[in-house]
Amino acid sequence: MLRPFELSEPTSVAEASELLARHGDAARIYAGGTELILVMKEGLVHYEHLVNVKTIPGLAGVRLDAGTLRLGAATSHRALERDPLVRQHFPAVARMEADVANVRVREVGTLGGNLCFAEPHADPGTLLQVFDATARIEKKGSARTIPLEGLFVGPFETCLEGDELLTEIVVPPLPSRSAAAYLKFGFLERPSVGVAVAVTLDDGHVADARIAVGCVGPVPRRMREAEAELRGKPRTETGAALATAGRIAGRAADAITDLHGSAEYKEHLVGVLLRRAWDQALAAIDGSPRR
Amino acid sequence: MKVEREVTIAAPRETVWDFLWDVPRLAGCIPGARDVRTIEERKTYTAVVADKVGPFKVQFPLTIEVVDVQAPERLRVRANGRDTAVDGLVKVDLDVTVTPAETETALKVAADISVLGKLGTLGHSVIVRKGTDIVDRFAQAVRAQLEAKA
Amino acid sequence: MKEIAMTVIVNGDKHDLTVPPHETLIECLRDRLGLLGVKKSCDVQVCGTCTVLLDDRPVSACTVLAFEARGRSVRTIEGLARGDDLHPVQEAFVEHGALQCGFCTPGMIMATVALINENPRPTADEVKHYMRGNICRCTGYKRILEAILDASRRMSGASAGNGR
Repeated sequence: MLRPFELSEPTSVAEASELLARHGDAARIYAGGTELILVMKEGLVHYEHLVNVKTIPGLAGVRLDAGTLRLGAATSHRALERDPLVRQHFPAVARMEADVANVRVREVGTLGGNLCFAEPHADPGTLLQVFDATARIEKKGSARTIPLEGLFVGPFETCLEGDELLTEIVVPPLPSRSAAAYLKFGFLERPSVGVAVAVTLDDGHVADARIAVGCVGPVPRRMREAEAELRGKPRTETGAALATAGRIAGRAADAITDLHGSAEYKEHLVGVLLRRAWDQALAAIDGSPRR
Repeated sequence: MKVEREVTIAAPRETVWDFLWDVPRLAGCIPGARDVRTIEERKTYTAVVADKVGPFKVQFPLTIEVVDVQAPERLRVRANGRDTAVDGLVKVDLDVTVTPAETETALKVAADISVLGKLGTLGHSVIVRKGTDIVDRFAQAVRAQLEAKA
Repeated sequence: MKEIAMTVIVNGDKHDLTVPPHETLIECLRDRLGLLGVKKSCDVQVCGTCTVLLDDRPVSACTVLAFEARGRSVRTIEGLARGDDLHPVQEAFVEHGALQCGFCTPGMIMATVALINENPRPTADEVKHYMRGNICRCTGYKRILEAILDASRRMSGASAGNGR
């Protein structure tokens, strides 16, 4: 049995923001509840006041705006998995969303909720960073946009102020001759290691390489030192660079030994998944002229 | 989980050893510790250690027992407590050694930390990071305290 | 604490209820409406035993709040059979021996109904992907997979009984 709480159902972002400001730490945003209700049921946390954001029109939905994907924060994982625009123009995102948790969690859980709960063992925050995605954050009277990477401050901690809401995730398209891939590995309920890449080719060379690692460290993040190993290399000569990049990313991932595995094992997996994701991305570029 | 940290302190060993028995100041080096009380001098103490990770708050009222003393070089302490709100039990076995290192002193802290109950299972990864962080900061704080004086 | 007045259609029957916000759907279905076919197992939306359909979408009744069903329709295992006439998915499960202790079965069947409704002729890989979140400790899944593929064949009107 959950402990009782009050429920508010605002119909605007401003109203939601006001409610959060008024109740302070006693209030939390409630969207799908797949993370929140779970920890409340476990008794790990309690909020006396939940602010339902599903009643705010326009907070869910997928739009393609001159090639850029605009995702309402309250869009469910399942909606993203199945959306024709996402599948056609951002297939790596659709595939990642299709593998989040299980179908029931995907039906109810939202992208925004997943990102804002900031549980380290999650998928979207990792992949979206290789697209240089941004997050639109609003409160009553103002809005700001930040790189998605900046949203994550620590495990279960975002940069959101008490009265702010994440309203939209904006995903720019990759350049032509690019593809992204996301691979994860886990044997517990949540993934233990997640690696995302985005590769851009230009005349047989790696014009751009973007790498993000999630689940391992306290937050998902880009591995820029590892990326530098691959940029400029001829695509046929990336073998050694990938191994080095894997080692760099593995070390930089700040792995600890816990129930998900030893630190050494996770570092090793980062290298393995990086290589496989890289190959997958290249195959996707070769298989399609656009993405 | 076992965490070990060693710091070198620019202070003589006796000073470092005495500091370990200055319970209020020592407790001040533990992040999140407050309400330190002496139940029996040099034997039993209580304290409350509070911390938070994102929205998750814990508060452990701890009973701290001095298990073994080998003055002025080694001290073993056991602390345990149950969180007031969440299902979690914490047990820490602390082994502190104080060794002269030329004109300075090597302080080694070896902590064996167990968190049982729901908190321990669900929060395992967080606890591993926190435990390491706390022992780190404790060792650094002890050094800072002693070097400020000296 | 303000309770929420709601109307919900459960297995075709209309119910007017008043629920506190913190009541879960499984509590509502089992404790208020006596639908004990909705089983509570892991209680953390991992095992799929409590799968019910909310407007044809599979959800974990243990973690969805009851008020979220307001103005919507809920379908549980009790809503499948028509008297003694089993639903084709139920028939397929029985014929293929796709259950042993039966505890995961209501959730397994509801998830299957949702799957076939969305994708009338899923491939084996599509079935495995969709059903990944429904755990069975007894059968080893092989017969469940066969039952689902067979049910989808029957329900889409294709000839049954080939390649068992």
